[in-house]
Amino acid sequence: MKNPNELQKKYVPDMGQKETEDLRNLIQSDSKKTIADYISRMKKTSPNRPKAMEYFDEIANLFGQRQKELQAAKESGKKIVGYFCSFAPIELILAADAIPVRVNSGWYDAAKIGDRVVPVEVCPMVRSTIGAKMVSLSPYLELSDALISVSTCDGMTKLGEIMGDYKQVWTLPLPRVKDSAQSLSYWNKEIRATKENIEKLTGNKIDKKKLRSSIELVHKATKAFRRLQELRKGPPVIMGRDAMLVNQSFMWDDITRWTQKTEVLCDELEKRAQEKIWACPPDTPRVLVTGTPMIWPDNWKLPSLVEEASPQGVIVADELCSSDRILNDPVGVDEWTMDDMLHAISERYLMASTCPCFTSADGNEDRINWLINKVKDWKVNGVIYYVVRGCMLYAMEYSRVKKVLDTINLPVYYLDTEYTREDVGQMKTRVEAFLEMLTARIDF
Amino acid sequence: MITAGIDMGTQSVKVVVLKDGHVVGRGKTFSGFDPSKAAEEACTEALKKAKLTPSEIDHVTATGSGMEMALSSDSTISMMGADARAGVFLFPAARTVIDVGAEEARAMKCDDHGIMVDFVVNERCAAGAGAFIEAMARALEMKLEELGPLALRAERASPINASCVIFGESDVVTLIHRQESKPEIARAIFDAMADRVSSMIFRLGLTPEVVLVGGVAKDVGFVASLKRKLGVEILIPEQPEFAGALGAALAAASRTK
Repeated sequence: MKNPNELQKKYVPDMGQKETEDLRNLIQSDSKKTIADYISRMKKTSPNRPKAMEYFDEIANLFGQRQKELQAAKESGKKIVGYFCSFAPIELILAADAIPVRVNSGWYDAAKIGDRVVPVEVCPMVRSTIGAKMVSLSPYLELSDALISVSTCDGMTKLGEIMGDYKQVWTLPLPRVKDSAQSLSYWNKEIRATKENIEKLTGNKIDKKKLRSSIELVHKATKAFRRLQELRKGPPVIMGRDAMLVNQSFMWDDITRWTQKTEVLCDELEKRAQEKIWACPPDTPRVLVTGTPMIWPDNWKLPSLVEEASPQGVIVADELCSSDRILNDPVGVDEWTMDDMLHAISERYLMASTCPCFTSADGNEDRINWLINKVKDWKVNGVIYYVVRGCMLYAMEYSRVKKVLDTINLPVYYLDTEYTREDVGQMKTRVEAFLEMLTARIDF
Repeated sequence: MITAGIDMGTQSVKVVVLKDGHVVGRGKTFSGFDPSKAAEEACTEALKKAKLTPSEIDHVTATGSGMEMALSSDSTISMMGADARAGVFLFPAARTVIDVGAEEARAMKCDDHGIMVDFVVNERCAAGAGAFIEAMARALEMKLEELGPLALRAERASPINASCVIFGESDVVTLIHRQESKPEIARAIFDAMADRVSSMIFRLGLTPEVVLVGGVAKDVGFVASLKRKLGVEILIPEQPEFAGALGAALAAASRTK
């Protein structure tokens, strides 16, 4: 592997060491405060918050225990593979005894640093991830030995390229027409190439046995994950923000431990449901959030506004690749042969995704179906369509989603924002008006 | 039953006192640096006109961007919710209520029961709101009130781009350099603003009857431009800037029932 210091930087300007360190320290200390603040606000919203959330509050500290664990694993010779999109086949990473970790940045202030490389019109999550790398802010991104970038939206495609200034990047070209005759076989070849890349990086051969056990490991996580979402169908046993944090922490936690802790949480929630202990009044308007991913810690703005609003709302489901979509779909293996397992992995990551980067004869019909099913089964009263500036694909699909939701008489509100704290007041006004509208409809 | 609505707007505070479904008093002051105090003054004015004392009010509801600063209020309602109520109260056939204020424009869709079912707000930009007219009037060295009547005298449209106040101003300067007449420039300003507001309304879906409220509804230049863009008649109540406060007073009345 190339020494990163020898890489010729194609995009990123040189920054002085002092400036880099100052910026990192500043954002990191602010971020620690933000993490603590959001956790305490989540506790405040839900005074009888499930006890099992304590574990997730710990793991939510991006500069805490998990960072140390990854550091130690790396020192013992393990490889860490970072990824930007939920299309990265984590089963292959695990099968090579490497550690997968998603490295998108939610830090608002890092986006301003990214502005030195790309214009402000670019998606702030992309700008922020670039900025985070420029000042070595993200422990998980720093620890990554290689990065998987998937050519989904324009921002993500170029993000991978820019990250090439620092790290070994494997870009997976994603076919964007899902029902084309070639797409799946093309993607399957890319998945196989990724397997080889991972094997080369780790020096570990991915054999049938190892791959099967990693698929089964993720199956167990999926089971716990789906159990949690299932529990959110009834009267609210958990606030949406708490569930979203559990979902998202899968992206960086140890998978076996995460699964076990999530099962413990679900046990507690089931008991609460039996005892009719609700996280908020059962007639609280039930909200579904869809759109641009929301990354912990800074970009917890919208879920916080919804659940701290007056009148209050509760997020019971979402259609975000940073939450409910992470583990929704299991790898469906027919026969435990290498070919079949790889095919099943290809299928799971390509066909099950509802990302707006796809189109097909029916357009992105899969996303529409997901939304309609979620809205019905989770008894949703209203949808917030969340888009950050520069998130072209989600912005463009709004009209279609709105039309469909209109036909089932479900209110939807389009909320656009940025990686900034300054618009919280304006957003609050809109969110509260929307919740007030939902309350009026429920009462009527 | 006597209720009051306080609209804590970005530029001014408006108060409406409602007695058994009739407006009996209004008050208005500039928000200034101490909106809480401004609210008190506006309330005092409205109560004086209504010949009532504060203790006679059953319920006070606040709305507007600074609603939390209305110290004497018993409850709050969103600006959108207040506008929708007021629009349907003033014109029972209203299904679309548009509010153009100093810093924000918004549009609400109402159902047959007068309940808001959808809304849109202009996106973090003053180009669709009253502040835009003020800035443009300054650029033309004119009084705000003069701009509207002037625009009505324009013989043709000269389009400018109101993507934001700053760029709008530089576009106006371009028109000045081209030696366009003042009426034409004034109309260009209102057309640009109406473009922003109408595209927002088309996204929401235009359902008649259409009611326009908020301070900018008093500007004949803007109303003419908006009417042209929307292609429908626009109903405007007397004293449209009090709609938010009226809606809040109506909400207060339903909350005391």
